Amino acid sequence: MATKNAEALAAVSKKYEWGFATEVEQDFAPKGLNEDTVRYISAKKGEPEWMLDWRLKAFRKWLTMESPDWAKLNIPPIDYQDAYYYAEPKQKKTIASLDELDPEIRRTYEKLGIPIAEQEVLAGVEGARKIAVDAVFDSVSVATTFRAELKAAGVIFLSISEAIREYPELVKKWLGKVVPQHDNYFATLNSAVFSDGTFVYIPEGVRCPMELSTYFRINAENTGQFERTLIVADKGAYVSYLEGCTAPMRDENQLHAAVVELVALDDAEIKYSTVQNWYPGDENGVGGIYNFVTKRALCQGKNSKVAWTQVETGSAVTWKYPSCVLAGDGSVGEFYSVAVTNNRQQADTGTKMIHLGKNTRSTIVSKGISAGRSDNTYRGLVRVAPTAEGVRNFTQCDSLLLGDQCGAHTIPYIEVRNPSAQIEHEATTSKISEDQLFYAMSRGLDSEAAVALIVNGFAREVLQQLPMEFAVEAQKLLGISLEGSVG
Amino acid sequence: MSDAVLDLPSAREEAWRWADLGGLAAAAALAPVAAPEAEFLDLLGAKLLFVDGVLDEARSDLHRVTVGALAADDHALGRRAAGTGWSLHLDAQAVTDPVQIVHVATGRQNHVPSEIVLAEDAAAEVVETFVGAGWQNRFTRTRLGKGARLMRSVRLLQPAGFVSLREAAEIGEAASLVAVFLGAGGQGSRIDAQLTMAGDGAFVEYGGTLLTSAEQRQECAVRVNHAKPNGASRQVWRAVAADRSQVSLAAAVEVARHAQKTDGEQSLRGLLLDRTATVNLKPELEIFADDVKCAHGATVGELDQRAMFYMQSRGIPRARAEAILTRAFVADALERIGDETVRAAFEADADAWLEAALD
Repeated sequence: MATKNAEALAAVSKKYEWGFATEVEQDFAPKGLNEDTVRYISAKKGEPEWMLDWRLKAFRKWLTMESPDWAKLNIPPIDYQDAYYYAEPKQKKTIASLDELDPEIRRTYEKLGIPIAEQEVLAGVEGARKIAVDAVFDSVSVATTFRAELKAAGVIFLSISEAIREYPELVKKWLGKVVPQHDNYFATLNSAVFSDGTFVYIPEGVRCPMELSTYFRINAENTGQFERTLIVADKGAYVSYLEGCTAPMRDENQLHAAVVELVALDDAEIKYSTVQNWYPGDENGVGGIYNFVTKRALCQGKNSKVAWTQVETGSAVTWKYPSCVLAGDGSVGEFYSVAVTNNRQQADTGTKMIHLGKNTRSTIVSKGISAGRSDNTYRGLVRVAPTAEGVRNFTQCDSLLLGDQCGAHTIPYIEVRNPSAQIEHEATTSKISEDQLFYAMSRGLDSEAAVALIVNGFAREVLQQLPMEFAVEAQKLLGISLEGSVG
Repeated sequence: MSDAVLDLPSAREEAWRWADLGGLAAAAALAPVAAPEAEFLDLLGAKLLFVDGVLDEARSDLHRVTVGALAADDHALGRRAAGTGWSLHLDAQAVTDPVQIVHVATGRQNHVPSEIVLAEDAAAEVVETFVGAGWQNRFTRTRLGKGARLMRSVRLLQPAGFVSLREAAEIGEAASLVAVFLGAGGQGSRIDAQLTMAGDGAFVEYGGTLLTSAEQRQECAVRVNHAKPNGASRQVWRAVAADRSQVSLAAAVEVARHAQKTDGEQSLRGLLLDRTATVNLKPELEIFADDVKCAHGATVGELDQRAMFYMQSRGIPRARAEAILTRAFVADALERIGDETVRAAFEADADAWLEAALD
């Protein structure tokens, strides 16, 4: 797409503020999916033999599997042969600093409002909070900042392809341990063709000195993005990881099947926050991203803790269940979610809390907001194994309906096999209150600002869990996502 | 009917996830037993005795109930029950004495359809009891006209085997359906219901108590579809599981696009008596209208230790305190039975089960 076109798109970007495409030369794998594609990707990344074997094993398994259809989603059949599985921006060797970054990419980031410049300023200020950005432009990490400081702390923060080369033993040990290759259709596909992603290892007793952040972005037309993230927090470590996503405007459905694996050993804590704002399609549901994500955390150690926080406003179809396997005694799982659907969006999202260890605790707070002609489903599972004594779970699912053409669904599964468990589940469904709207509007807010205000109040419990930088972005997103839903 | 159980859905399907499909075939394969004594409650009205799915005319008193061929529905369980069954049709304003039906099975499998059609403002009460062994499968189609009222009480008291109930009900304008189920036998069960609120302001209360011990598995899968506005539905289910048994309660409320002012309520609660027992809950909401009130509550756990402590501090022995609290837990779901004789009988059955389980 020519620059002119990009400008034109930017001009009409009011509908989807962040919909544009950047013209960068890319390396494509041939269209379609077969063993050669898998070999091509592996070769392109210079992967060792064991990694290729691992991919091929997953691919062969994938061929025998069927796409799941139990979710409350209406997905047209996906032609897996009609997509590129690998697209890498051509780059000048390695980049030492952000200044050497492709100016087109820099501009993309600027349009996205990613405060990279601000972060550079922040980095110079002593004592200021820092954020390390491992920018994923399409599928390959283009630039990784703050590496030195992280290295000093002993933190490994690399793209997964680099990690495979530099720390093969660590990757080998944990890759596929939390989400096995054959876990589900999309996870298996990801295992075969994952293009890049992030690897984080926090050594024993280290509190990661800054928030880690990755901006995912799908850029090339018709490129499914298959990210693979693996975060390991060793004994007593702490890390907060931020993931934010926006994508350019597209007419064709794009497939995204990521896998995120988290491992927390004894007393470790991982906080994983996501803001997802991929292109949701237009008012009639044309275009938009398919987001089929498998996210799972293994609280393997005693008193470990994993907290998932997500704000889901984008994608045409979201299929995502960030889960916690609470294996270590006294481990804690938390899930805070806001899912907003508008127009023809469909979201089927929720969590799984698998209690295996003694005295494990979990909290689930899910806020679903549906508008337009969208469908928003919470689907969750709380399972208590016979060995898990003294388990405590609290679940709250609230749905807010804006308009009478949308749907809000709650499908919680509760499976309890130990009598000492205390499991509570609450759910409510309501519409936006006319009184509140009237009050806000009588104070001079227009209807959209009033809705944004009320919705932000409704979702406050979850937004509070986000790191500061994200909370601001998320609040803005909620308002933008619901534009045109009232009045 | 052949003994083969072939075209049942697989447990991989969401709606059958917790179903004990192997239990059906196993129940049908059990060795036959002698027909147990059929005991009717001391009520006026019709008394029907089905032995292995066939009406025992000599020992039955039909009153207004008729027996004849009935169609089945296309549900996996319901469609098996095509053939001869009983029906109760009431004209407008008609009120009848309670209809009692006892289903006795000596083994293998039997399938019986039934139909309850109440015209405008008619009222009826139906009490069903299942005893014996083998697999008993029932399909019941209910149609309630404007303002009609039906009270159904069903108790499953088979010492072994399986009882599957497929229920399809249409509740008309301002009509009311109250159904209470009690699973206090040793059989496996599946109560599979599809209730449609077909008229404005319809009311449904659908619930019960499932008690399991040993390796037993009982479940309910109830779907209430609010197709019209101003409807109210309540689902109150209680589960008590001992030993290695499993109770699954799946209750869904669907609110259609224009069914505004719907009031849906679900209360699913499970009590585990042993650490090897399982309770599964799935309180599901599917809402397409924006001016509705739907709430569900679900809890699983053991008896409240504070309540236990309080009672023991008052001199009540531990076992007795457990029995009192468990009885109170179960009673929630049985208290809607309108007829005192029926309610007392159901409570006695539940008590007998609890006494054996808490021993």
